[in-house]
Amino acid sequence: MGVMRLGYAHVRVTDMAEAKNHYANTMGLYETHSDVTAEGAKRTFYKAWDEWDHHSVVLEEGGVGVVKYGWKVQYESDIDEIEAKAQAFGVTVERMSRGENPEIGDGIRFTTPSDHVFEVYHQATLIGTEVGTHNPDSFPRHLVGVGVPALDHSLITAEDPGLMDRFLTEVFDFYATERVQTTLDDDAEIIATWMTSNNQIHQLAVLAGPQGKLHHFAFRLGDWSEVGRAADLFSMDDVPIDVGPTRHGITRGQTVYFFDPSGNRNEVFAGGYLAYPDRPTNVWTPEKLGKGVFYHARELNDAFTSVLT
Amino acid sequence: MPTVTIHPTGEVIFLDPEETVLSGLYKAGYAYTVGCRRGGCGICKVDCREGTFVYNRPIADSVISDEERTDGTCLSCRAVPEGDITIEMRDGDVRLVNKFLRDINERARQRAEALARAQADLASATTSKE
Repeated sequence: MGVMRLGYAHVRVTDMAEAKNHYANTMGLYETHSDVTAEGAKRTFYKAWDEWDHHSVVLEEGGVGVVKYGWKVQYESDIDEIEAKAQAFGVTVERMSRGENPEIGDGIRFTTPSDHVFEVYHQATLIGTEVGTHNPDSFPRHLVGVGVPALDHSLITAEDPGLMDRFLTEVFDFYATERVQTTLDDDAEIIATWMTSNNQIHQLAVLAGPQGKLHHFAFRLGDWSEVGRAADLFSMDDVPIDVGPTRHGITRGQTVYFFDPSGNRNEVFAGGYLAYPDRPTNVWTPEKLGKGVFYHARELNDAFTSVLT
Repeated sequence: MPTVTIHPTGEVIFLDPEETVLSGLYKAGYAYTVGCRRGGCGICKVDCREGTFVYNRPIADSVISDEERTDGTCLSCRAVPEGDITIEMRDGDVRLVNKFLRDINERARQRAEALARAQADLASATTSKE
């Protein structure tokens, strides 16, 4: 089936100690590994409680923004197929070897038309969820902070979101569940696109903006009440909330946007309807973009399109 | 105890030691255009016209360029004044959103200035006796 999910988001943080406090004690991620790169940068690897692979979030000290994303494919052969499709699209692809990323197998690496680095892999060290697979309980009793179950999706910016829509369609077999476009005409420009490979409402969204930037990466939650509780915890921990709790018109997801201690935007995201490739794509036009993004306030805040890392 | 003066409107805001410019302005009841408040996005940059400040955290090169480190650019969420400074907003004026906090800040500044004057008077009186 090709790409199953966003496997990992690897981001930069300015201060590892503060970042670890946020991702471990406020978000409730589990540290699985730490090391220092050949260049001397500290790294910390995390998984969330309902994830089974070795890590889904990597923090690297020095700067802000995204280093790269890892995409996990279902079959080893998917790597070759995606390599061929990326090359056909005109992208230079390099091979990566087992161990270049700790506990991640062989794969490929390329820079997208949006200037983001993507890695595609099939094998990751299996750690298992925190509840196991044998007669599992519904959740771990001693979750910390928000206790997010999993990484969910990311939103990046690109000068040409339409090109990224085409790239993700042709190379990853993604399809768009929702789009923002200049008009309803066939030749309208795409301003933003929400894309997935399966029933998840989006795995990656792309918004018009500068190349190579991170808008946010999001963790999954179950429902409204969990989103509200997360927001309460952000107030207790003095986490700057950008927006919410509110709903997105686009995806129908329930959300809080907030910032990590380095200023990278995070989100907790619940709900969103089931996506199908044969479902007609929802289309939003700019006069309703405010409602599309923040369904209750119905207008964008200062930060939504300008605060990027 | 440093103060931040806003040019050209002339507000004077009193900061606690080690407090950032952004934190001090918000605690004194003011608001302006800010983003992540954590040094990552650069939206809260102002210009420092007088005085000096230091950053209380590492700042990413993608947020403050080499040139901006010397041209008076002040990333207000991470900038801690080293003494009294004067800043100018880049994107509109500050807005007073909580006048109660403004009044409290003003009284704190007056008390600190009165204390400083009293200490100076005491010091000069002690010197003249000797």
